[in-house]
Amino acid sequence: MFEILKNLCNTDGASGDEVAVRDLIIKYIDGFCEWRVDALGNIIVFKKGEKRAVKKVMIDAHMDEVGLIITAVTPDGFLKVKTMGAMDVSVLLARQVKINGEVDGVICSKPIHLLGAEEGKKLPKEETLYIDIGAIDKAQALQNVSLGDCAIICGEYCECEERILSKALDDRVGCAVLIDLIRNESKYDFYASFSVQEEVGLRGVKTATYAINPDSAIVLEGTTAADITDVPEDKKVCIQGEGVAVSFMDKSTVYDRVYYKKALESGLKCQSKSAVTGGNNSGAVHLNREGVRTIALSVPCRYIHSASSVALKQDIISAKELALFMLNGIASGEID
Amino acid sequence: MDIKKTLFELSSAYGAVGENSASKKAYEILSKYCECEVSGNNLTVIGRMSGKSDYTLMLDAHIDEVSAVVTSVDDNGFVTVDKAGGIDIRTLPARPVIIHGKKDVKAVFCSTPPHLAQKETEYTDISKIKLDTMLGKSAKDVISVGDVVTYCTKPKSLLSNKVTGKSFDDRAGVVCLLEVAERLSKCELPINVVFVLSDAEELGLRGAKTAAFKVMPDEAVAIDVSFGDGPDILPDECGKLSHGAMIGISPVLDISISKKLTDIANNNKIKYQTEVMGKSTGTNSDVISVTKTGVKTGLVSIPLRNMHTDAEIIDLDDLTSVCDILEKYILSGGIANV
Repeated sequence: MFEILKNLCNTDGASGDEVAVRDLIIKYIDGFCEWRVDALGNIIVFKKGEKRAVKKVMIDAHMDEVGLIITAVTPDGFLKVKTMGAMDVSVLLARQVKINGEVDGVICSKPIHLLGAEEGKKLPKEETLYIDIGAIDKAQALQNVSLGDCAIICGEYCECEERILSKALDDRVGCAVLIDLIRNESKYDFYASFSVQEEVGLRGVKTATYAINPDSAIVLEGTTAADITDVPEDKKVCIQGEGVAVSFMDKSTVYDRVYYKKALESGLKCQSKSAVTGGNNSGAVHLNREGVRTIALSVPCRYIHSASSVALKQDIISAKELALFMLNGIASGEID
Repeated sequence: MDIKKTLFELSSAYGAVGENSASKKAYEILSKYCECEVSGNNLTVIGRMSGKSDYTLMLDAHIDEVSAVVTSVDDNGFVTVDKAGGIDIRTLPARPVIIHGKKDVKAVFCSTPPHLAQKETEYTDISKIKLDTMLGKSAKDVISVGDVVTYCTKPKSLLSNKVTGKSFDDRAGVVCLLEVAERLSKCELPINVVFVLSDAEELGLRGAKTAAFKVMPDEAVAIDVSFGDGPDILPDECGKLSHGAMIGISPVLDISISKKLTDIANNNKIKYQTEVMGKSTGTNSDVISVTKTGVKTGLVSIPLRNMHTDAEIIDLDDLTSVCDILEKYILSGGIANV
């Protein structure tokens, strides 16, 4: 699973530009399930199990990651950009980027020597961000990139003892777990969506859920872990090493109470996501048609929405185990 | 010499207190062309070439880089650091670095999670940005207070002969000296040339101070990087990339050196631009010039973008322009006869 995760993380897929990630996922799941790609680019999957499910379960993970989109080119050949998905300017300044998976560049950062005393204390505005690809002028820049091309901050996957440092752990951890469930034999039939455009407003999963029309859904995610020294206990949200985080409520969803409790009582390693912050595809999933009973299982990720997010391997394994427990429980009718 | 390959090798090496892999690499290369010694804090490298006269010209470029130093390690695997050189702390969150402990440890500066982010965060205190070793409680086994922290980004090529990476300030200058040494090693020299790859520039021009005292040349030229153009920089605050070597003029620099460097660039049609500074230069030339009874000193710089980050950018053609000017300048005897 970690070899697959590595390859997923090292592939770029900004919101709306998920082609490379989608192709890679299809390579991994082809032959293990029935799949098709819908109009928006979601992969819709049916996995045949040993038995028919009492309840139709959909498992979702989103393919896209936060990125930048090129909106203009200056006469000097610098590329003006906008962020797609929430990113703090501090994690963007002076970073290497890759455009279209092939053109290298860096985000400009005014040298500390030229910053005034006040200017040096605060971050520049997002509107002042430019990418430098080394072009001598606008014409040369436009020979190599086009308006609307996407840039991803570089952050090569590396395993550091028990942890993983990489870009895009949100939500390639979810994709890797879902691929693993699909590639293994399943006790019950289930459906899955690898969805597009989560970071720009939970858009892809909306149509995927409509198409699948599930009774119940399991959303696999990466969520903020603020388990840093000096952060107060009540602000940590979740803690690495305590297992996958189960949500009771966030900014987009009030989760199914029975599923939430059954997950915590499963005996498997897991924790409550202890803050009503953020949101994920559940927000769109649970409001599908006449409503879908939904649970979100999130891997605790430090420094989320940067190119250096950190996850603990054991927490990813625990996400898989709890997802399997919930799938079998719901599909068999034992959890209702 | 393959300039890009050498720059990339030196950029990927480290030059900070107790970390001298860049010095070792540079020593290895410079030794091919002249007699070399290692001096000072094990980082400064000095190479000497003899000429036909007693007149000695010293070329300087600094081998050290901006870094940080560990000030505490806690039981959860988080570390605090202080700056060792001018690092812009606004750029640190979520930046991967190497802690040079008992072994090299990859670590990442914590970024504030979105739910805790304040709208107008002030970046004034580096100790508030923890460094995550990802090692948990075993961090204390490998990391100690005083260990050095450096950038670790690998260099890359950009369009039109531009390159990006860490520590081009001043490994780009070091590469100039190595290239000039190779070119001069095939020539009969009118004067002695001493190549100084100096330590601790980022900590206050310290290495060049003691190195210049040791060498005590008749004349010196420092090679450093200077501010290149960018979308948020006023044109009169910077040089322009791809417009050639920046020849320095300042009250602390010797005007006859600046003038002769300019004449050589003009006469040989080598690309250059003039960098005028109203006070001291912020480079090693400031301290070399006041060594003992005084040394006539010049400054030539390579324009560089995003200074002191690990995303510095230079144009290799500018680097070559600096080499071309220096080669001709030395072969014509510097200002020995001016």
